[in-house]
Order: sequence, then structure tokens, then C-alpha cells
Amino acid sequence: MRTGDGWLPTAAHARAVVAGMGLSVAAVLARRPDLLVLATPFVVAAVWAVLVRPSAPPKMRQSIGHGMLREGESTTWHVDLDDPEGRIDDVGVVLEAPTWMDVGPHDGQVAASLHDDPRERIDIFVRPYRWGYRRVGPALVVASSGWAAFRWASKNEAEATTLVTLPHSSEFDASAPPVHTPGLVGGNRSPRQGSGNEFASIRPFQPGDRLRRIHWPQSLRTGTLHVTSTWADHDRHVVLLVDALDEVGRSDGIDGRASSLDIAVRAASAIAAHYISTGDRVALVVLGSRSVRRLPPASGHRHLRRILEVLANIEPGSPAHDNGRMPGGLGEGALVLMLSPLVTPTALQRAVTVANRGLSVLVIDCLPPDIAEQTPDDPYTGIAWRIELLKRERELRTVREAGIAVVPWSGPRSLDVVLRDLHHHAGTRGRRPR
Amino acid sequence: MSALTVDESWRRLPRIRGVGLLLRGLILVSPLAALACTRAATDHPLPVIDVVIVILAIGSVFAPDGPLGALVIMLVAIEWGATVHDRTTFWAVAVAAALAMFHVCLAAATVSPPGARWTSAMCRRWTRRAAVAMGSGVTTWAVLVAIDGYEMPSSAILVAASLVVLALAGLWARDGHP
Repeated sequence: MRTGDGWLPTAAHARAVVAGMGLSVAAVLARRPDLLVLATPFVVAAVWAVLVRPSAPPKMRQSIGHGMLREGESTTWHVDLDDPEGRIDDVGVVLEAPTWMDVGPHDGQVAASLHDDPRERIDIFVRPYRWGYRRVGPALVVASSGWAAFRWASKNEAEATTLVTLPHSSEFDASAPPVHTPGLVGGNRSPRQGSGNEFASIRPFQPGDRLRRIHWPQSLRTGTLHVTSTWADHDRHVVLLVDALDEVGRSDGIDGRASSLDIAVRAASAIAAHYISTGDRVALVVLGSRSVRRLPPASGHRHLRRILEVLANIEPGSPAHDNGRMPGGLGEGALVLMLSPLVTPTALQRAVTVANRGLSVLVIDCLPPDIAEQTPDDPYTGIAWRIELLKRERELRTVREAGIAVVPWSGPRSLDVVLRDLHHHAGTRGRRPR
Repeated sequence: MSALTVDESWRRLPRIRGVGLLLRGLILVSPLAALACTRAATDHPLPVIDVVIVILAIGSVFAPDGPLGALVIMLVAIEWGATVHDRTTFWAVAVAAALAMFHVCLAAATVSPPGARWTSAMCRRWTRRAAVAMGSGVTTWAVLVAIDGYEMPSSAILVAASLVVLALAGLWARDGHP
């Protein structure tokens, strides 16, 4: 059986022809009419198959329902086969599943009868269960004529499709006020007072205050001019620093265990979605990845989509893929959220370097909590991990002493306490009220 | 995916089930049934050929799209021709039906991936065709029994004409035109 553009005779047809003709010739030469009885079914099958043999190849089209999904969502791979002569009986389709993807029904193996329903569309569902870019298809389509005597097979590599699986956003919400930033516009209350809408206090008039801010009742009561002061409005500039230098732990996709990179990517996705929904600017920097490494700060849903696509494209690299320089895009006053399993000195060093530049840094620990118990069959690995975790704890203490908060990722509001502290700290450093 | 041929893909697929499993069971059973019928029709079976046929039938289960099926049929026919001398025995119909079933099951096993679920329309169509193939042997046998008493004189011209017709039919059946 070979793959080709046209219809090719199969082993079944060859068997029918050889057996039918061979037994018939033997019956004639040996004067054995009983051999003709044995030959008859094969002769019938061979003659019937030739009479219904298709001559034109079918028209086939393959497509995928959606090119972009979230982890755990599913779409459909469609195979449309048009048989102009109506001589195709059976169609077999196989769609092989790439890694991290389920296909169904029956492992992507489908049989259909075009003889009974010439317009039948063959659908195979595709469900990626881990973020990433993957090639899907093309499906192997094999059409057979009557008696499976002639076969047409198609396997067109040009119809393979890239399916983008965006990370599933973990639930995340933060009610903490923003850290001090130099922005002058935005939807968040600044820790400084200035031009804004939210009432702060009534205070004595100072040169430079606008006349329309004068609070006349208080001024008449006290005999000196008083003005209404407000909190300034500003936006946040959040930088997500994702450590892709290493991937620690086993990943079973969205339905099972999460590796450190799974946790980091899903958390980054959730944080980006949260801050962009509140109108803030979010930048993305990926350390060590072999693909795209940086997205400049921007806001809006289109930017969120770009962030998710870059996150989906992350491939774990190694310290060799890290240039060791200060990541770009860390503007003044940015809140840097570093997502890292913190198992390499490079990542810890990078966090300290960023903090030393005067930026507010919050490290989100993405090491799977059960990392030491992931290989119960190998006690030595567990022991090695426990030793490694002790070393790591010592290094984390050093990082904390340098003024960098380290919190484990635990979903909604997991960063609130630390963000409030950072806000308070920034507020005390901020300018005096005018 | 790029370099996969149909053969490789079919073989790599896991888990035969449903109709695929039934077909493979019949692929194994039908040559055994043909052998049993041959033994019933003769007093001098050929055990060596029987063993070879069983081995080839087992091979056919795993490679229904290969040449082993044709070998099985030819060996059954050879054993029949060598050991059975009653030209009108009804066992010929039984052997023809078993071989027809063997051929149809082999063919049906190649139209879909092994793990695919067969539709009811496919099952009905292949059952009808298997019945036609098996029934055609009965028709030939009935004609054979009807003309059994008629003695035709030997004729070299008739034999040659028959062979020429068969050769042309074989060429036509191979690819649709002589």
C-alpha cells in the first residue's frame, strides 16, 4: 500500500484476481470443476470491484475550528471529502495527537461510509491540555472503493496547522493600592496628593493652589484661606519578569501536576489579565527563554493577547540563554513581579540586581510545593531535593534581608499583603502634600 | 508526521476494538473452518500444509493488507485439489464460503484504522457483500451438480479458448482495461 495522488489497487484486489484466475485456470487444466466453486467468490469480488472502480481522485479539504484556545478547551478538526463520482465506499481518517494534546474519538481514528452519506463530514475533536504552540495535522485520509479493491490516500503536509494554546489564567485579584509611580494619569489613587478626584483633606492655602479649590466655608470660619486637597490619580507600570531558565517538576497539563514553569506562566497570565483589566500598563520580560524575551509596557486587551501569546511561546532554556544583563523595559517606579522557582543563583542574583536599582520588586515563588515528593520510587531524589530546598531557604533569607519580598503563588489576593506594604513604603517615601 | 506512510501509520495505531477485533477473529477462524471442511471431505489430509496455513493465517491477522492472505487461499486450494477427489461434494461450497469470508474480512480490515468505530451502514454493506460472495459459490456448485451427468468430449481448442478468455478477464480485472 503506497501513498499517492491516484487510485491504486490493493492487496485485496490482487488476492481476488490471483485467486479467482488461478483457481479458474487450474479448474480448466485439471478438469476439476470443484475448483471453479472455490474460484467463484473471488471472481465475483474482482469483477464487481473493477466495475465500480473510481477514476478521479476525491477533493479533500482539512481545517481546524479554532487556531487559538486556552488550555483545556477543545476544538474540532474537520475533514471534508467530496466524491464527484460517488464511488467511494469507506473512508478512514487518522489524526495523530502531538504532545500535550488529546484527540478523539478513539485516539483520532475515525471510519465513515461515504457510500451511504456522500456529504458526510468527518470531525475529530482536539483538546490541548498544556499551553504552547503545536503543529496539528494533517490527518491521514484513506478512501476505499467497493470491496476495498482500490485505495486513495492523502497526506498533505501543507495543511498542517499551528494551534496556539494560551495559558489558563489562574484566578487572581488584588485590592492593594498601587505602589508609587511617576505617572500622572490612570485609574488608581496615588499615595501622593495632587490633581485628582478623590478627597484627601482640607488644608491651608499655599502658593500655586488653584482658586477653584478654595473651600469657602472653612476659609470664612477660620479667617484664612483653605483649599480642598485631593489624591492624585496615576496608573501602574507592572513588569512581569518570568524566569524560564529552568523548568522544575513534572507537568501533567491543566488536569494534573504543574511544573514550575506552568505555575509561573499561568500566574503571569492571571496577573497580566488583572492589571490590564484595571487599565494599567504591563510589560513582560522572559529570562532564559529560547524564543521572544521582552514585550514593552502597554495596556489594553490587544496587549493582553500579545502577552499571552508570548507566554505560550516560552520554551525553558538554560543559564546559557541568559545574557546576564539587566533586563530592558524596567522603567522608573515600575512594580517588578518576578515569577521564578528560585533554584538557580542566576535568578536570585537578578532579583537583587533589580532591587538595587531602586525598583519595587516582589518575587513570586513558583516552585511546586510537593517537589520533594514527586518521585516516591526514588528516595535519593527526594533526599537530594530536601537538601536543595535547605540551601534554597538559606539563599532566600539572604534575598529577604536585601529587602525583597518573596511570596508563594497561591491564587487570588496572594500578593495583597506584600503589595500593601510596598504601597505604604512608597507612600512614606513620596512627596509631601502640597 | 511528514514521512508517515499509510502502512506505518496503520501499524502504529494502538488498541483494536469493536468490529476490527471481530474481523481479526474471523480472519483466524475462517481458514481453520476451510481446513476442517477439507478434512471432512477427505481421508488423506496433509498436516504439514495445515500447519503452514495456520501460521500464515495468524500472520494475516497482524498484516491483513499483505500477501499472506493470498498464500493461505492458494494453500487451501492446493490441499483441496490434492486430497479431495469427489467433484460434486457439498464440502466444496463450505470451503468456498470459508475462503470468501476470509477474503472479505481481510479486505474489510483494511478500510479503516483498527481502533475506529464502524458505522452501522458499513457493517450492513460488508455483511451483504460477504453474503453475495459466499452465495456465489453455491450457485456455481448448483450448476456443477446439474451438469454433472453431461459428458463433454475433450477438445484442445475449447481448452485454449477458455484459457485465452481467462487471461483476458484477468488482465481486465487487474486494472479495468485489457
